[in-house]
Amino acid sequence: MTKPLLILATTASALAFSSVVSLAGEVTWWTPNFNEPRARELVEKFQAANPDITVNLEITTSDGLPQRVLTALQSGAAPDIIDVQHGWVNGYAQNGLVIPLDDVLQDREDYIPAALDYVTWDGKLWGIPYRIETHAVIYNRGHFTEVGLDPDSPPETWAELVDVATKLTKEGRSGFAITGGGEVGNTIFRSLPFIWMNGSSMISDDMTKATVNEPAAVEAVTFYTDFFRKGLSPASTLENDGTANRRLFIAETVSMYQSGQFDIASIREENPDIDIGVMRIPHPEGKDTAAILGGWSFVVPSDAQNPDEAKIFLQFLAEAESQGTLTDTFPARKSAMELPRFNDPILQVFKEMLPYGRPVPAEKNWVQISQAYFNGIQSILLGDMEPQEAMDVAAEEIQALLDE
Amino acid sequence: MYRPSTGLLFVLPALIVLAMLIAYPVAYTGLLSVTDGQGNFVGMSNFAKVLSARATPQAFWNTVYWVVGSIVFQVILGTATAVLLNQTFAGRAIVRSITLIPWVVPGIVAATTWAWMFHTEFGIINYMLTGPGIIDQPIGWLTNRDTVMPVLIAINVWKLFPFVAIMVLAGLQSIPNDLYEAARVDGANFWEEVRYVMLPQVRPVIVAVTLLLVIWGLNSITIIYAITRGGPANRTLITPIQIFRIAFENVQFNQAAALSVMFFAVAIAIVFVYIKALASQPREAR
Repeated sequence: MTKPLLILATTASALAFSSVVSLAGEVTWWTPNFNEPRARELVEKFQAANPDITVNLEITTSDGLPQRVLTALQSGAAPDIIDVQHGWVNGYAQNGLVIPLDDVLQDREDYIPAALDYVTWDGKLWGIPYRIETHAVIYNRGHFTEVGLDPDSPPETWAELVDVATKLTKEGRSGFAITGGGEVGNTIFRSLPFIWMNGSSMISDDMTKATVNEPAAVEAVTFYTDFFRKGLSPASTLENDGTANRRLFIAETVSMYQSGQFDIASIREENPDIDIGVMRIPHPEGKDTAAILGGWSFVVPSDAQNPDEAKIFLQFLAEAESQGTLTDTFPARKSAMELPRFNDPILQVFKEMLPYGRPVPAEKNWVQISQAYFNGIQSILLGDMEPQEAMDVAAEEIQALLDE
Repeated sequence: MYRPSTGLLFVLPALIVLAMLIAYPVAYTGLLSVTDGQGNFVGMSNFAKVLSARATPQAFWNTVYWVVGSIVFQVILGTATAVLLNQTFAGRAIVRSITLIPWVVPGIVAATTWAWMFHTEFGIINYMLTGPGIIDQPIGWLTNRDTVMPVLIAINVWKLFPFVAIMVLAGLQSIPNDLYEAARVDGANFWEEVRYVMLPQVRPVIVAVTLLLVIWGLNSITIIYAITRGGPANRTLITPIQIFRIAFENVQFNQAAALSVMFFAVAIAIVFVYIKALASQPREAR
């Protein structure tokens, strides 16, 4: 019953991808659907200059992508280049599923260092970052004016954020929406930076000790979950992910929420009446802000059919101009940031947040660690446990995973 | 004495396909459960790890709650619907067809639609309840610890009771009219007909359908995974979803295999006990 099902699922998905059969001189590139038009443009450009290499573009969907990539990497029938999120690269490297790409990287000093750190393991580079982004806080300037706040001086500290959120919250409207549902990553991206700002972390830097129940971490978790417990975040918080928050913002029932610049376009399109403001994520008094550095890298699977041609194409994709074309947010190279498309004033704050972006720890059990932490957050939001107790439970579970 | 071997030759292709599709995965899962990622034998350590996880016992009890809760209502509602649809009334054919709809709708579509309907903020259910003032605050159906599992069970019941109804209805239609006539001659009313004629006659159908429902219940992922992903805080995590999580989210195929093996054993035991218990029952009306 369940056993065959599990294996069958693997087999079936492996079969579905067995279309990946490359001939000599052919490079198969998997890129997510949001990249499609720009990726086609780049492929055409490359083909014109390199007629002897054929690039087969295959479009993936970001929903369920980690499972799909992993299945492909383990099935032995992988494409030659895959777009993956920075955070996944380390796991692939540690399991020998991708090959080192130090020989592909050019102009090392042109890259944002944190992006390269993300995809480095054991002294080698396992991915070429091309897209980086962090969150900021998106807010409705109209709502600020309505309650007598100045939209040009948004809150900067935690205390000010709580104060402003309280003022913005009224009949059917929530001041600051947090996430407590959807995929685990949604809540990690939004709450872990608060722990970092407060000088703590989920696990110690040497990855031997769970630190999520330290006073500073618990204080940050309390700060985060209190938005819901004090009624400043919508009643549906426990089922909301980033997309749901965006929808509530578009419906003007939420005044502030954390997200990346990719939300701007859809807000403008779906509710042009909203006067959008962007602020840095507020920090504790006297401390710096922080954010998780997100984004995408290229990897070359160990089972790639034509790694040599793949590397030639990859070098083209890694050029500043190509990165500037392909990225949906910001490019990983500083020189590409000068391109006109990154000059939109609304992007300014997102740009300012980039230097505060940090990679998530490259622990092999990170998925389970974040799940344990997320369960703790949900227990607090459900009212089952107080923050200290919930984080003690999470820390115990995380410690067991670190000790493995 | 060459006939059996010829016969064997004929069934061989089918046997080989079955072996590849069933026996091999089962055996390979068994192998995975006692090895590590590199294929080294590690004894029972995968089992120990997976059993020590906090989520495992919780998922087990959630699974029991889910399966028992679903089946009780599926069978009762399904049988009642069958009895109703077996009566003669105008528009019966249409009602019969409409009843089938939930079962025909693809699981993922139904689950996603229900998730939207039950959404605290945008859901039509809260909208309809708050509009006329039945409740003054929207209810977090899927986020309240006391309502989330009952809501999911209700969706599962809605999805599968038509199947029970159709199967039982087929059983009801095979009951010869003489039995009803004899009952009526003895002065039986409608409820006595249901109790002494219909139910005993369709018992074998209900038994078989219940077994199917147990197996489907133990294997079901779609509804829960699409709606809550096992949350909030593992409150709707059932074992099949835990296996899926361990394998495809945590990439611990060996631990997932270990949990699958144990789950398989429990499932086999339940099915075995169930069949045994029924085989010992007297078989009336045969």
